[in-house]
Amino acid sequence: MTRHAATGRSLGLLVCLDCHLTMRDVKAPQMRCPRCHARLHARKPHSLALTTTLLILAAVLYVPANLLPVMDTRTLIDDESDTIMSGVLVLLHSGSWPIALLVFVASIVVPLLKILALAVLIYAAWMRRPNGRMQRSQLYRAVEFIGKWSMLDIYAISLLATLVQVQSFASIIVGWGAWAFGAVVVLTLLATHTFDERLLWDTQ
Amino acid sequence: MPLVTLCPACDLAHRRTAAPAFERTRCVRCHKPLQVARNTTIDTAIALAVCASVLMFLANVYPLVAMHVNGASRQTTLIGAALGLYDQHYKMLAMLVFLTVFVAPLLHVVTLLYVLVPLWIGRSAYGQNFVIRLISRVRPWSFTEVFLLGTVVALVRLAKFAHIVPGIALWSCVLLMLCLSAMTSRTSAEQLWQWAGQGRQ
Repeated sequence: MTRHAATGRSLGLLVCLDCHLTMRDVKAPQMRCPRCHARLHARKPHSLALTTTLLILAAVLYVPANLLPVMDTRTLIDDESDTIMSGVLVLLHSGSWPIALLVFVASIVVPLLKILALAVLIYAAWMRRPNGRMQRSQLYRAVEFIGKWSMLDIYAISLLATLVQVQSFASIIVGWGAWAFGAVVVLTLLATHTFDERLLWDTQ
Repeated sequence: MPLVTLCPACDLAHRRTAAPAFERTRCVRCHKPLQVARNTTIDTAIALAVCASVLMFLANVYPLVAMHVNGASRQTTLIGAALGLYDQHYKMLAMLVFLTVFVAPLLHVVTLLYVLVPLWIGRSAYGQNFVIRLISRVRPWSFTEVFLLGTVVALVRLAKFAHIVPGIALWSCVLLMLCLSAMTSRTSAEQLWQWAGQGRQ
């Protein structure tokens, strides 16, 4: 079945990714969906190139996101910089290990796994390897599903920086690490959006 | 109605006549859901959307959390959290927070009501098809549940040196999250187009 599967491409059909309407592919460059008027493409245009570019940017920014301080806590007695990892350690030492684990997974493990997973998917789509397509499709859906949870730390930082502005007692200043981290999250989300899952199945 | 449906995830062609009319179906090759079970009425979807808009109002009007430390106290609203970043000159980050916790959920609920209310009374909204497309584009950027968890993390970090009082908006956010997820699961793109298709006949 997999060898001679009838696909939209082999039948001259295409599906609108916005409204999932199936129609005949007339190969017109400015073709639009008759139902929702979205621009139509047999595959997302320049999918691999765009995804690769976004992914490289994300991978580069992942370094400052983890090395630069995400926030700076200034109190009367001291001035303390926190990176994402030291923030996790602060949570761990304050005795709330489930929360520490949560932040560790959402802010450090998930972005890294997302970058690695997307790299694997791009490579597989480029090589057109027929074995393990199902697993790679599942990997893509997992990346799609967990993507937004990396925003967790950005929200935590924004709340901390807003609340902790007690005059002359303590204040929290956001660091550039947070900016880089936010960029990593947005870039990987965009990379997931620009990747066309169907490329994983175009192996015939 | 075309006789063939393509899987949006793997491009496999499926004969539509082979599928049950109103059951949930999956792609035989990649298991992507192709068709949703028709288990919701427009009334339910509208009720959830109205509920979500009330909760969204509460979540944005009342303070999210208040913090008391050494006789001083600070409180913030949901939008205040984005403004806090803006005040520290992180405009892009502030924008990101503002878009994902305020604009996207609001737009999601408003556009849904804009499409569903006319359908409910047997008409169709001006620019309906464009708006339905907008809904499916906005939906992936609504991060209320992540924001809530982020709030929990922030409060755990603060709890050791300040007294934290959760505000009405925090509880509203919890309910809003539940309401939005119930609404989202009942108003998939397929479901919306099905309702829109019935309205036209």
